[in-house]
Amino acid sequence: MEPIISFKNFGFKYRTQASPTLYDINLDIYPGQKVLILGASGSGKSTLCNCINGLIPFSFDGEISGTLTVAGIETKKSSIFELSQSVGTVLQDSDAQFVGLSVGEDIAFAMENIRMPRSEMVPLVEKNASIVGMKDFISHVPFELSGGQKQKVAIAGVFANDVKVLIFDEPLAALDPQMGMKAVSLIDDLSKEKEHTVLIIEHRLEDVLYRPVDRIILMGNGRIVADTTPDELLKSTLLQENGIREPLYITAMKYAGCSLEGNRNLCSLEDLELTSENENRLKAFFTSAYQPLEESKAEPVIEFDHVSFSYDRQNLVLSDIDFKIRRGERIAIIGKNGAGKSTAAKLLCGLIRPSKGSILLEGKDIKDLSIKEIGEKVSYVMQNPNQMLVKDIIKDEVGLALQIRGRSAEEIQSMTEKVLKACNLYKMRNWPVDAISYGQKKRVTVASMMALEPDVLVLDEPTAGQDYRSYTDIMNFVNALNRDFGITILFITHDMHLAIENTERAIVFSDGQLIAADRVCSVLANEAVIERASLKQTSLYRLGVKLGLDPESVIERFISYERGLAHKEAAKDAAPSSGGASGSEGKEAKADE
Amino acid sequence: MNNRFVINYTPGPTYLHQLSGFTKVLLFIVMTVAIISTYDVRILWPLFFICLAQMISMKPNWKPIIFMFLFTFVTVTLLGNVMLFVVSPDAGLNNCGTETIIWTSKTGRFYISKEWLWYVFAVFTKRTASFASVMAFALMTTPSEFASGLNKCGMPYKVCTIISLAYRTIPDIANDFIDIRNSMMMRGVELGKKASLGKRLKNNVTLLVPLIMSSFGKVTGIANAMDLRGYGKYKKRTWYAEHEPTKADRLVRGLTIALAVLTACYIVWSKAIDPWPAKIWCPFSDPSQIRNVSLEESFFLFRWLKSLFQ
Amino acid sequence: MAEKSLGQKLLGVWNTKTIVAVAIGAALFGVLMVYGGIPVTTNTNLTTAMVIPVVVGAFFGPLPALVSAGVGNVIADLIGGWGMWFDWSIGNGIAAFFVGLLPVYGAYVTEGVFNWKHAIIYAICVVVGNGIAFGVVTPIFTTLFYGGDLNVTFIQAIAGSISNIAVELVVGIPLMFILAARSKSRTNLKEEE
Ligand SMILES: Nc1ncnc2c1ncn2[C@@H]1O[C@H](COP(=O)(O)OP(=O)(O)OP(=O)(O)O)[C@@H](O)[C@H]1O
Ligand SMILES: Nc1ncnc2c1ncn2[C@@H]1O[C@H](COP(=O)(O)OP(=O)(O)OP(=O)(O)O)[C@@H](O)[C@H]1O
Ligand SMILES: [Mg+2]
Ligand SMILES: [Mg+2]
Repeated sequence: MEPIISFKNFGFKYRTQASPTLYDINLDIYPGQKVLILGASGSGKSTLCNCINGLIPFSFDGEISGTLTVAGIETKKSSIFELSQSVGTVLQDSDAQFVGLSVGEDIAFAMENIRMPRSEMVPLVEKNASIVGMKDFISHVPFELSGGQKQKVAIAGVFANDVKVLIFDEPLAALDPQMGMKAVSLIDDLSKEKEHTVLIIEHRLEDVLYRPVDRIILMGNGRIVADTTPDELLKSTLLQENGIREPLYITAMKYAGCSLEGNRNLCSLEDLELTSENENRLKAFFTSAYQPLEESKAEPVIEFDHVSFSYDRQNLVLSDIDFKIRRGERIAIIGKNGAGKSTAAKLLCGLIRPSKGSILLEGKDIKDLSIKEIGEKVSYVMQNPNQMLVKDIIKDEVGLALQIRGRSAEEIQSMTEKVLKACNLYKMRNWPVDAISYGQKKRVTVASMMALEPDVLVLDEPTAGQDYRSYTDIMNFVNALNRDFGITILFITHDMHLAIENTERAIVFSDGQLIAADRVCSVLANEAVIERASLKQTSLYRLGVKLGLDPESVIERFISYERGLAHKEAAKDAAPSSGGASGSEGKEAKADE
Repeated sequence: MNNRFVINYTPGPTYLHQLSGFTKVLLFIVMTVAIISTYDVRILWPLFFICLAQMISMKPNWKPIIFMFLFTFVTVTLLGNVMLFVVSPDAGLNNCGTETIIWTSKTGRFYISKEWLWYVFAVFTKRTASFASVMAFALMTTPSEFASGLNKCGMPYKVCTIISLAYRTIPDIANDFIDIRNSMMMRGVELGKKASLGKRLKNNVTLLVPLIMSSFGKVTGIANAMDLRGYGKYKKRTWYAEHEPTKADRLVRGLTIALAVLTACYIVWSKAIDPWPAKIWCPFSDPSQIRNVSLEESFFLFRWLKSLFQ
Repeated sequence: MAEKSLGQKLLGVWNTKTIVAVAIGAALFGVLMVYGGIPVTTNTNLTTAMVIPVVVGAFFGPLPALVSAGVGNVIADLIGGWGMWFDWSIGNGIAAFFVGLLPVYGAYVTEGVFNWKHAIIYAICVVVGNGIAFGVVTPIFTTLFYGGDLNVTFIQAIAGSISNIAVELVVGIPLMFILAARSKSRTNLKEEE
């Protein structure tokens, strides 16, 4: 069979960069294949896909070496338009992608451009909208849609032409777990029904493997590191080496000392056939005694006292929210898209004020405090990094808030350096803010807030679109802040891994109501809550069920084991560094070697 | 958001809302030309009432409209007329051709004539009619219909996409501004009520740079998304928002064309066949008395230049 | 990159990026016109909107600047609700054309080129452009379209020009230097230890 996409000795260098971003790519993809592209942030995944759809070299300037043919056409001799007839792309940024003024118009955009008469267009738009489940929203405007819904519209918009290849660049980044699951099924159905060739770029390996993929291509520093099947990849050590996080159940198997060889269908927990030896090991691991997680008894820092809120005085976005957070706790705020998580965070920071009820910060009502005054206690990293960046150079952006607060130059210097290293940005400190990827921008905003060392740190989706290495570095630093300075941390997140690994308690929202505030392991083992909050059972839960054990204790045992490991690490790291300061300094010392 | 900007992003339910974009744009253009072409209040008031009837039929939220009207009335009409009184008390003579003075200041420098008042009234009528026609159009049309209708009227489609894209980004700009402002306040810049007015003003201006940068930073992303879906390849494109003409469309288009023909006839009649001797028709002026004031006499710059050279 | 011809510099290259940028420029112009200024006289504002044509001009040339100011003004009229004033839209468009001439006299801000020589030429263009637009074009259309009194219109035009010139010089010139410096730092990015 002829490959539909064929790279031969292909390379690419952006005009603004000093060295190439892609080297020696040799890759053939055949019609009907479903391919997952993995790789650390900045490894060149988006660049590779933009070569296929023609944005490179026609929109991004640079030099191409070697050849790339798509559906028999050599890309550099073609045009974006010609390539768009056979390649459909869903870009990383679903906001920018939405060019129409309503859902219907946006889906019709490609049809309008090929001069399709309106009489043919209307039924086709309806058909495509119903494929992605957006039929009831056809006349809605973009400002009324959640991130997940926009993503679906973007998907419907690309198969206006009979494209043969579909590219999805991080389709799950902003979706809640269940919505992510639906998106993965949708993509899978598309690839089966219409025999499309599908390329998916994604960091959330476990979520993508919810449906089978044919091939995984692993990228590292602009090269293809591996081109193999999911099973083989999971068995190898390549994932850790390239900064990709493995599925939780695989981690659990490793903790239990299982060998990964000899288990059939390793990539899918449902079909996984464990060897009897492994099964026993897992059972022994999960039933062994562990130190139960203790609950914080400190005084409350944040209290929501029967708070309700509405943006338009009609529909309550939050109703009767009531909870307490104690000093030094780490809390996960979870719930589906549009449940009101970011709204709660904005209320806490005083950006919006409750319609009913009151919010207490350290026992004082924040009603009379200005945003600036609250900002001295609470730092909030917003969901969308673009709206927080005001300076030109990364270093200045991070130091800005310190400067406004009148800290000394040396203090600013040392603090910025510290947080930039923790966020993996130190090498780029003099780069302009707009020349970096989305994931990197997000890290810049996290860094600028961490630099303030506030009493309460609220992080809205801190790890969306981050690779595992940046994820661990950020988390290590945040955890060190929590451990050493007793800073209270609130994570708003869709990432259950994050909740399991880094928090004690979870607060769960669903459609503007608080439906649970409990220990993480209890929340994630509670069917009813999972159902209502549009969460997904983690693979640990399902592993527990598979082994016939109580899921809650499985999760708790896992967490307790991880915390034990983390403590050992921290102790090891802290030992060589002099003062009692933080684990992060230990890390820096290591990085400098 | 909708109300703050008087933009309708979704078409409303009434008769006029259901018309196609082309019909609406056509109606608006003819209305505008008709209002621009005349100062005759006998024509302008009926045009105003047509627009008002259109507005009433759409059952809009009147509050912002009335607020805007009053705002315009105070800034443009009241202040404008004070200025007119100071710099051009002779506007009545210049425009109506006669002058019947009813009040004079002690020095004789300022005075009011019947014709001056009439001129003020005529201009106010024209402005009000213009305001009503814009409001009626803004209430009736969604930005996509505006773009598609304009394209049907012969405007190149790239210009039309500029309009619809601009509307698409306006709410984003407003939200971005709020977010940038909040993020600065959280970092310790006081922009709220607790800062002095001057400081607040200055700090708000400094927010412009990130706002402009973040807005223009989106250009590449949006352009790529459009290119990837085949934008700009052909000389023409079709429009999802432009539905086929219905019975109502044909009726309104017919009426609009009739109005256009009437306007054309009026222009020809009033300019060529039976021209009124002055610029503005005025009930107090006797046509035989009318004296046309030349530009050199009425325009202070020319008067001043002339005096320099004499 | 090949040197562009004068015609290309004047008209700009109308690819999708230009269209999107002009649209965003128009939206910003419209919003700032309505909310980003303080009234000076009737019909004129001391408005921050005037920096938009400067930016669009620097990036894409004079004609795109003209279109974004013209369309932006129409949008401002529609959302601000004070009626359509084509005379001012046309005037603003023409002023924007002069303000946006930057690439024509070699101020390639996108490539980091903007010095004091360019700033002086820019200042001259701003003054001349506003003079022509509001001293001649707008008054002509005002009397033609709306029967405004020439004396009043002229005073408004002078006030408008002065406030526009002030914004375009006081905010525009530093902005150009900032933008040029930004673009310069955008080449040859290397990781540093
Ligand atoms: N428009 C651009 N101009 C210059 N350099 C760029 C551009 N886009 C990306 N790069 C650089 O190319 C490298 C690869 O970027 P790319 O966007 O392909 O990464 P990625 O693997 O998709 O990362 P992520 O997971 O964060 O999206 C990065 O180091 C980035 O700095
Ligand atoms: N500025 C706003 N004006 C009006 N409605 C808003 C605004 N911001 C959010 N909403 C609505 O409020 C609800 C809650 O939004 P919120 O952003 O808090 O959700 P979220 O839980 O953070 O979701 P996600 O996980 O997608 O970020 C949504 O239905 C949203 O449409
Ligand atoms: Mg990417
Ligand atoms: Mg949110």
